[in-house]
Amino acid sequence: MTGPAPALKPAPHITAPWRNLRQGILHVFLGFMALVALFPFVWMVFASFKPFKELVQSKALLPINWTTENYTEILTRVNFEVAVANSIYSAVTVTVITLLTSSALGFIFAKYRFWGKEYLFILLLSTMMVPFAVVLVPLYITIGDLNLVNKLWGFIITGLWSTFGVFLMRQFMEVIPYEYLDAARIDGASEWRIFFTIIIPLSTSPMAALGIFAFLANWDSFLWPLVVLNTPDKQTLPLLLAGLRSIYWARYDMWSAGSVMTTVPIILVYAFASKYFIRGMALTGIKG
Amino acid sequence: MTTTARFSGGSRRGPVWDWARIRRVLRKSQFHFGVAVIVPTLIWYFVFMFHPIFQAFRIAMVDYKILDPQNSPFIGLGNYQKLLLNPLFLVSIKNTFTWTLYIFLFMLPISMLIATTLSNVRRLRNLYQAVIFIPVVVSLVAVSLLFRMVMDPEVGQLNRMLDFLGIPPFKWMSSTRSALAAISGIAVWKSMGFYIVLLTAGMLNISEEVIDASRVDGANEWQRFWRVTIPLLSHTIILVVVLLTVGSLQEFTLPYVMTEGGPGTATYLYNLLIYEEAFTHIRFGTATVAALFQFVFILIASLIQIRVLRPNWSY
Repeated sequence: MTGPAPALKPAPHITAPWRNLRQGILHVFLGFMALVALFPFVWMVFASFKPFKELVQSKALLPINWTTENYTEILTRVNFEVAVANSIYSAVTVTVITLLTSSALGFIFAKYRFWGKEYLFILLLSTMMVPFAVVLVPLYITIGDLNLVNKLWGFIITGLWSTFGVFLMRQFMEVIPYEYLDAARIDGASEWRIFFTIIIPLSTSPMAALGIFAFLANWDSFLWPLVVLNTPDKQTLPLLLAGLRSIYWARYDMWSAGSVMTTVPIILVYAFASKYFIRGMALTGIKG
Repeated sequence: MTTTARFSGGSRRGPVWDWARIRRVLRKSQFHFGVAVIVPTLIWYFVFMFHPIFQAFRIAMVDYKILDPQNSPFIGLGNYQKLLLNPLFLVSIKNTFTWTLYIFLFMLPISMLIATTLSNVRRLRNLYQAVIFIPVVVSLVAVSLLFRMVMDPEVGQLNRMLDFLGIPPFKWMSSTRSALAAISGIAVWKSMGFYIVLLTAGMLNISEEVIDASRVDGANEWQRFWRVTIPLLSHTIILVVVLLTVGSLQEFTLPYVMTEGGPGTATYLYNLLIYEEAFTHIRFGTATVAALFQFVFILIASLIQIRVLRPNWSY
């Protein structure tokens, strides 16, 4: 969509040395900002390999005595693997189902005609205006009635549909030509087949954007899991990390090890797919 | 378009109870697909959206009894009264407005500046953007822990850097005076990348003809920024302003994890009040009333912002 747009053409009256100096200043500024964004993580990674005493005393960035104690201790003391498994399970489930529901509804709202369609769409969209806090208590009661308190599905089930996702997919699917669908229908293809073999392949870029969006939102979700999931065997990663504050009060070595294990995998995935992340965000912004 | 009408069958005139036609529709694959998608959707939206929203209005008017919800006594506006009498109510409102103000003061100039720089730089743009975006993708709770370490008044790296530059140590989150500003700085650092991506995409979308025309007319960079870039960016700016407002007014995770509202009540934001009313003090009614106030306020605020900022011209 928004490919690498050409930089603005230099003004003709500005001479080359000036232009270079100007570009130089821009690079210095952006380099500094990039450092500001990156440096805390670099510090955190090195801090996680320092013994506690050194972490709170030394001024050096690099550890003097490298140690992996922090990692072994945190892995034996708290249910780290369980939290990782819970987080991955819920984030993947929510992302996959959200993609399916959003694209199917996007298809219907973009290409079907039936009585009350526009009203239904507006009704669904109107839920986007309601802050989460309004449904916090009633939703907790509902989850209680469904017997899902302190179960991973109590957290997952509330994320299976995404109003924003429906809106986004409809925006994109509106431009798919009707001729494609009609040609397939004349050939006798069922709607399921049209959906899976025509609509979805034509919508990969908004789906990638929505998938990243849904995954990150779920991976990072805090308030709702905090309310529905109570015991250590059900916690997701953010809950476990927040819990480190009380289990290891001011034990910065433990904190940094836990944070590294949470953030570094995401940063690594991001390093290889940053293009899609950024394009996706820009896409959602432009269309949304 | 006519072909669509034929295939999706909704627009032909005729008697309403044309059984042959209804049977034809019922046999269609579109109908099956539509029902298979819409019916679960309606059930989910009813159970997890519409029903809770209606429940919220009911819970707001009863003294909710957890153990026996059916017999919760109706107390009308009693929860409203209880909430207004809670001294933390006004404190949290004041804090939340201050917080939103800080976010705007930090976020808008910085992200505009970086976006402008990014759209003018000729090389490495994608690399800079990708690096500045990193904080957006990592877990907010991890970021909170990270900055609690970095901003520790005694052993934190930030004060050591200040020390290195000869600046006396700063108390960051341990002082009631600086805590809210310090945390809002972290919030800006964390989500800056997202707004920068939106603004940069918007700026690069401005057609070069307009920029060239302003050059021909003799506008300098400063004039071009205020008279060309900003007005042509107004749709993106509206989006950014509304997202920032809605997000800041609902901030929860950062103050909860970093300071739990403290020191004192310095970072006690509105959503902390809602959460504590509901799940610490188990006062479901007042929590829901507080949430309804927030709903009304956010709705009005966003409508006003869109009204005021929407350009009254088009091009």
